[in-house]
Amino acid sequence: MQSVHDATRQLMRRDAREVGAMAFNQTVPCQPSDPAADLRAWDQLVEDVGTGLSGSLNLRRTALRLLTMIRPRLADWAMVVLPGDRQGALTIVGGDDAGFHAVVSASAIADTELGRALRTGGTELRHVMMDDAAEADLAGMIPHPRLAAEAATMRPADLLTVGLTARGTTIGALVMIRCEGRGFDGQDVSAAERVASRAAMALDSARLYEERGRIATVLQRSLRPPSLPSVDGARLAARYRPAAEHLDIGGDFYDVHCRGNDWLLSVGDVSGKGVEAAALTGRTRQSIRTACHFDRRPEVVLDALNTVLFDEHTKDFVTVVCARMRRDADGGFVVDVASAGHPAPIVLRADGRVEPVGVGGTAVGMVAKVQYRPVTVNLASGDTMLLFTDGVDEAMGVDGLYGVDRLLGLLPRYAGADPEVLCEAIEQDVLEYLDGRQHDDIALLAVTCGE
Amino acid sequence: MRRVDERRKPLEAYDGAFTSGDTETVMSIVEGLLVDGAEPVAVLTDVVAAAQREVGRRWQRGEFTVAQEHAATATAISATKVVANHIRDDVPVTRGRVLVACAEREWHALPAMMIECALRAHGWDTTLLGASTNPLRLNQYLNDLGPDAVAVSCSVLGSLPTCRRFIEATTASGTPILVGGPAFGVDDVRAIALGATAWARDAHGAIVAMDGLPAVVAPALPLPGERTAEQAALESEHRRLVARLRQRWTLVAAATTPDADCLNSVIDVADDVLHQTLHAVEAALLTGDDRVLTETAWWIDDLLRNRGAEPRMMDELVEILSVAMRDYPVAASLLATHFVVPAEWHRDATIDE
Repeated sequence: MQSVHDATRQLMRRDAREVGAMAFNQTVPCQPSDPAADLRAWDQLVEDVGTGLSGSLNLRRTALRLLTMIRPRLADWAMVVLPGDRQGALTIVGGDDAGFHAVVSASAIADTELGRALRTGGTELRHVMMDDAAEADLAGMIPHPRLAAEAATMRPADLLTVGLTARGTTIGALVMIRCEGRGFDGQDVSAAERVASRAAMALDSARLYEERGRIATVLQRSLRPPSLPSVDGARLAARYRPAAEHLDIGGDFYDVHCRGNDWLLSVGDVSGKGVEAAALTGRTRQSIRTACHFDRRPEVVLDALNTVLFDEHTKDFVTVVCARMRRDADGGFVVDVASAGHPAPIVLRADGRVEPVGVGGTAVGMVAKVQYRPVTVNLASGDTMLLFTDGVDEAMGVDGLYGVDRLLGLLPRYAGADPEVLCEAIEQDVLEYLDGRQHDDIALLAVTCGE
Repeated sequence: MRRVDERRKPLEAYDGAFTSGDTETVMSIVEGLLVDGAEPVAVLTDVVAAAQREVGRRWQRGEFTVAQEHAATATAISATKVVANHIRDDVPVTRGRVLVACAEREWHALPAMMIECALRAHGWDTTLLGASTNPLRLNQYLNDLGPDAVAVSCSVLGSLPTCRRFIEATTASGTPILVGGPAFGVDDVRAIALGATAWARDAHGAIVAMDGLPAVVAPALPLPGERTAEQAALESEHRRLVARLRQRWTLVAAATTPDADCLNSVIDVADDVLHQTLHAVEAALLTGDDRVLTETAWWIDDLLRNRGAEPRMMDELVEILSVAMRDYPVAASLLATHFVVPAEWHRDATIDE
């Protein structure tokens, strides 16, 4: 078995490596010499914990940071008990291995000492001896066999538990151990309480953020661009860059679905921006899917979509282009395209010619009845059709708008290329043109005829 | 497991299919190697990455157009995805969570994809953010995922400034950050200067470095004031400076021949050269590593020779640069001292990236 001395030394060595430049962690106060200087040092630690924990909104990362900051200054060993991912679960972070974390059930520990500390939010200090009864004491405060075993090697020791209370609720507890000869005195306990109160505020903010984040993540998942299916006889590629890049969702959308070998591609742009717009893209995509269940002609799909959105009596409108793709006898595709106020798709022929598809119509959701007129395009092997949103041509750089002409000029270089290559080249060209300026949502969907 | 290099035939077949842009064949060769028991990370480094490096050299020598370069990269990405799928099916997650990202303006998504793949192969739970990610998005993922580490790949000097922002964002949350890629050069000097936790030479290096990362790090220290201020000024004036240099460089002026292809190619190269030079100056200011200027001078000299420009174009570039840097004293003095090709380098035809 490892001696207490070894364990402590090991801890201190590891902590020094972890924190690197943090000077306050490098010195371990041995004997109290100057009470005023001690108090100043504790003030500094409380302050450092306050600023140090404000850098992250992730609960586990914040706890890890706290643990590295308080060791070995405040404790030789420590763990943090926090609310878990699920209702009724608690997460424990800490111990000898900084990366260690485990989940325990809140009801299982309700009757232990730790359970009481979590209910009252109070401070408890006890001396843990070498005898067997002490082991039971440890288990009551440290509800994980591995951590309890670590703590046991440090006996005889002082065990200090401080509630983490923020905004009127005790959200967790900080459990600390000091080895023999370095017990917690009154000043240490009050310092620990001050550290805990600062830390609790940061941990609670992270908890609130995570709770909101979980709701957002689930909702967001349904609004993210779909992954592309594989189409017999063609290759697909897409790019999506929302205006609020960090949200990963926006007011542009694309979708591809089929019945047998009868494909429907759609690209659209809803009115508004950000999260509200993203919610509308979800409804629009679903309406398109439902509409083409009854009739796959793009002009009929747009007509149905228009009726649905107009009947909602909102100011929302959507520009969208739908393309229905079917194989022809020569291994190419016949594509029927209908557009509702959306930038016209561009066909890039295998030989480098570029042909904007002459199709137009009113945006959906604006007037009660619209007649959409489809245009038919034939794609032979090596031909590509590009569907895009106005985030491309209306990208505003130092020389004004990016413009459709610049796009038409770029495309011939990529004649016959994989649609993935084409989309990447356009995305890069537009983003470089923007040169760091704010942009609108950008969506690209390209289909190239041929395996 | 057998080593990849025992099989010369598949490698030659890969190069052949890769060069002719035959993605299907490339994917089936990679699949074959993996099914035969080749080590996935070795397939990435010894086959996919090796062939990809050759693409860069071909562009440098004027043998590949930009479109061909893009196509080759797309093929390499498909090959990497085959390896990634293989790993995902075979290797369980046994370690912590890593966020793998490309800094803003980093359009080379492939190296990050390979690093992600290599780390996943070693049991890390990886999340890959694609090409050109802004610091805001990185922050979002840092807070949402709470990763154990971040790994950033930087191929081009122009993305080093955002890489520094990544380092600030990551270390502010206490998370360690591993960096790598050609923009960091051949050792950890630039990485350390920018405040990264660790540097890796390649995928193998990244795997080793990940194991040595601390759980929590302190926020990166601020960069030296004067140099950073000049770098920021250069960054914001970048476009204007390139435009001015383009007007003054006779390489561009001389390219007004009726041959449109030649015109395009020379202007493209000239633009690349001017962007790269200014980015190298910024990198030197930011990292204090002056070697980046000498390396860039060599790269430009080699590129211009390969593309048939007159040798005096290099001297002229040095002259117009010194005029353009009049308002940037530190940059001007760095250029004057370090933006030269050492005579002995001329004897070597090519050097590895």
